[in-house]
Amino acid sequence: MAEDRERVVLALAAHRRRRTAQAVLIHAALIAACLICIYPLLRMISVSLRPGDRLISTDLSLIPAGATAASYLNVFKQTNFLLWLWNSLVITCVTSFIGVSLAATGGYAFSRFKFPGHKLGLTLLLGTQMIPAGMLLLPLFLMIMRLGLINTYLGMIVAYSVTSLPFSIWILKGYYDTIPRSLEEAALVDGTSRFGAFYRIVLPLSTPALSIAFLFNFTQAWNEYLVARVVLCDAQRYTWTLGLFELQGQYLTQWGMFAAGSFMVTVPVLLIFLYSSKWLISGLTLGGVKG
Amino acid sequence: MASVTLSRISKRYQEATVLREISLEIADREFMILVGPSGCGKSTLLRMIAGLEDITEGEILIDGKIVNHLAPRDREIAMVFQDYALYPHMTVAENMSFGLRLRSVAKSEIDRRVEEAAGILQIKNLLKRTPRQLSGGQRQRVAIGRAIVRKPKAFLFDEPLSNLDAKLREEMRIEIAKLHQRLGATIIYVTHDQVEAMTLGSRMAVMNGGIIQQVGTPAEAFSRPANHFVAGFIGSPTMNFIAGALEGGTFKSPDLGFPLPGARAAGPVILGVRPEGICVDKSDGASLSEPVPAVIEVVELLGYKRNLYLKAGDKRLLATVDASFGGKPGDTVSMRFQIAGIHLFDQETKARIG
Repeated sequence: MAEDRERVVLALAAHRRRRTAQAVLIHAALIAACLICIYPLLRMISVSLRPGDRLISTDLSLIPAGATAASYLNVFKQTNFLLWLWNSLVITCVTSFIGVSLAATGGYAFSRFKFPGHKLGLTLLLGTQMIPAGMLLLPLFLMIMRLGLINTYLGMIVAYSVTSLPFSIWILKGYYDTIPRSLEEAALVDGTSRFGAFYRIVLPLSTPALSIAFLFNFTQAWNEYLVARVVLCDAQRYTWTLGLFELQGQYLTQWGMFAAGSFMVTVPVLLIFLYSSKWLISGLTLGGVKG
Repeated sequence: MASVTLSRISKRYQEATVLREISLEIADREFMILVGPSGCGKSTLLRMIAGLEDITEGEILIDGKIVNHLAPRDREIAMVFQDYALYPHMTVAENMSFGLRLRSVAKSEIDRRVEEAAGILQIKNLLKRTPRQLSGGQRQRVAIGRAIVRKPKAFLFDEPLSNLDAKLREEMRIEIAKLHQRLGATIIYVTHDQVEAMTLGSRMAVMNGGIIQQVGTPAEAFSRPANHFVAGFIGSPTMNFIAGALEGGTFKSPDLGFPLPGARAAGPVILGVRPEGICVDKSDGASLSEPVPAVIEVVELLGYKRNLYLKAGDKRLLATVDASFGGKPGDTVSMRFQIAGIHLFDQETKARIG
C-alpha cells in the first residue's frame, strides 16, 4: 500500500514537473516574441531622445547618455508637424466613420438578404483583397484624377474607404451571421421597422466586430503612405507619413526628428487600441436565445 | 382581444408548396393549437399570421380586418419564440418594456404594466438581470412577459416549451393554461407535442403535408379522428392499425379476423384500435369482439399500467392493460377488441368511414 502511494506521488510530481517545463517554454517563446515586437519601438524612442551628435551610435541603452527632448521640440519648430497630424486625423476619422457605416449596412445586407449576385458579390469583395496594393495604385490614381479629387481630403477619403471596405464587410457579415434572426423578428413583432431592428438590436450586439472594423479602417488610413504619395502633391495637404518622409534627405536625414515624429504618431493608435479593447470582448450575444 | 380568420391561405417557395388552401376560424378568446409533425407547415402558418412570412395566396384577417400587407408591428399581435429571442443587451425589464417604449407609452404606464406582468409570472425579482443570468425556464417566463405587457389582440406561441426539460415543461404548460384563463386571450399555439395539444387547447387543428387534416376539440380528434393520419398522430401510445377487408359484416386480414356486426362498409379498409381498446384478461362490461389468439412478446410496466407487445399471426399490436395483469412473454392470450373503440378508414382515401 505504502509503496503504491509512493509511486502515485512520484508520478504526480513528474507530471507536475513536465507541466512546469512546458509552461516555462511557452512563456519564454511568448516573451521572446513580445521583445521582437517591442524592440523597434524602444529603439525609436531611444533614437528620438539622443542628442544630435550621437545619432548613429551603436549604444543599446534605452535612455541614452545625455538624453534630451530637443528632437521633439524641433519637430514642432522646424516642420509642419501639427498640420500633417491634422490632415491625417481628418482623413482617418472621416474614412473610419464612412468605412464602418458602409460596412455595417453592407455586411447586414449580405448576411440577411438573398439577392441576385449575392454570392458573386462576396467572392469579388474577397478577390479584391488578393490584389497587391501596388497594382491598384495606377487605376486608383486615374479614377481619383477623373473625379477631380487629386490633392483633396475627399480623394484620400474615397480611396481609403473603398480599399478597406471589403475586409470590413466580410468581418461584419461573418459576425451578423452568428446573431440569431429570431432576435430581429421579435423586434419586428414588438414594433420596430426593419431598420429599427438593425439599429436597436443588431448594431448594439455587434460592437466587437464594429470595433475590429473601426480599428482596421483607422490604422490602415493612419499609416498609409503609397496612395497618399500619389494623390497628394501640395505640401499643405500632406499627411504625417508624407511629411516625415520629407525629413529624409539625400545628404542628411534628421533621424532624431524622424524618430520623435514617428513615436508621437504611434501614440493615438495605441490609445485607440487600448480604449477599444473593452469593446472587443465577445460573447455579448450569449443568453439571448436558448443555448 | 380579437378573432383571427385564415381564408384559403397558400404558401409556395419557388416550386415547393408548403401550405395549401388553409382555412381556419379562430374565435375571440379561443386557445387554438396548431399541431403536426415537423415540416407540416404549422410554424410557417404562424409566422404568416405574425407577418414574418409573405402570403402567396389567400387572406388573413385579424379582428375582421385584412392584414396581408401590414408589417408585423401594425398587426397588434405578440409572439413568443421557440428560442425565447430575448434581447441580450437589455435587462429583463427593458426586454419586457421594449415594445411599449417603441410605441411611446407613458413611463408610469410602462412601469405599471411591467410590474403587473412580472407579478403574474413571478419574475419580479429578476427585472434587473440580463438574459444570460437566467435559467431556461426564467427566460421563457420573460419571453411570455414581454408578450403580455403589450396587451395584443392575439398571442402567437411558436413551440415555446420545446427547449425546456420535461419537468419544467409540465410546470410551464400549467402556467400557460392558467394564463389563458386569467387573461382570456386569443392564443394560437404551435406545437408538435400532443400532450400540450390535448391539454391546452380549446380546439386544435391537426396539420400534415401543408394541409389541415382535422379541426376540432381535443376530445373529438382523439375519439373521432377524421382520417388515418390524425388517428395515428393523436394519442400516445399510437393507435394500432390492421389493413384488411370487410366482407358481409366480418373483418378479415391475413393475420386475424372477427365479425363486426355494426359495420356497414364493405371492401378494403384499415381497422384502427387504440392500445386501451384491446382487452386481454377479463371484460370490463364494454361490448367486445370475439377473441383472437395472440402471443405476448414483451411486457413493460409503466407503474399504473402495463404495455403488452402482442403478436397475432405476423401482425404486431400494442395493448395497454392494468398493472395487475400477470401474463409473461411467451404466453398465449385471447385478445378482444372493444367494438366502440374500433375506427375504420378507407384504404384508398384514408378517410374515416366508421
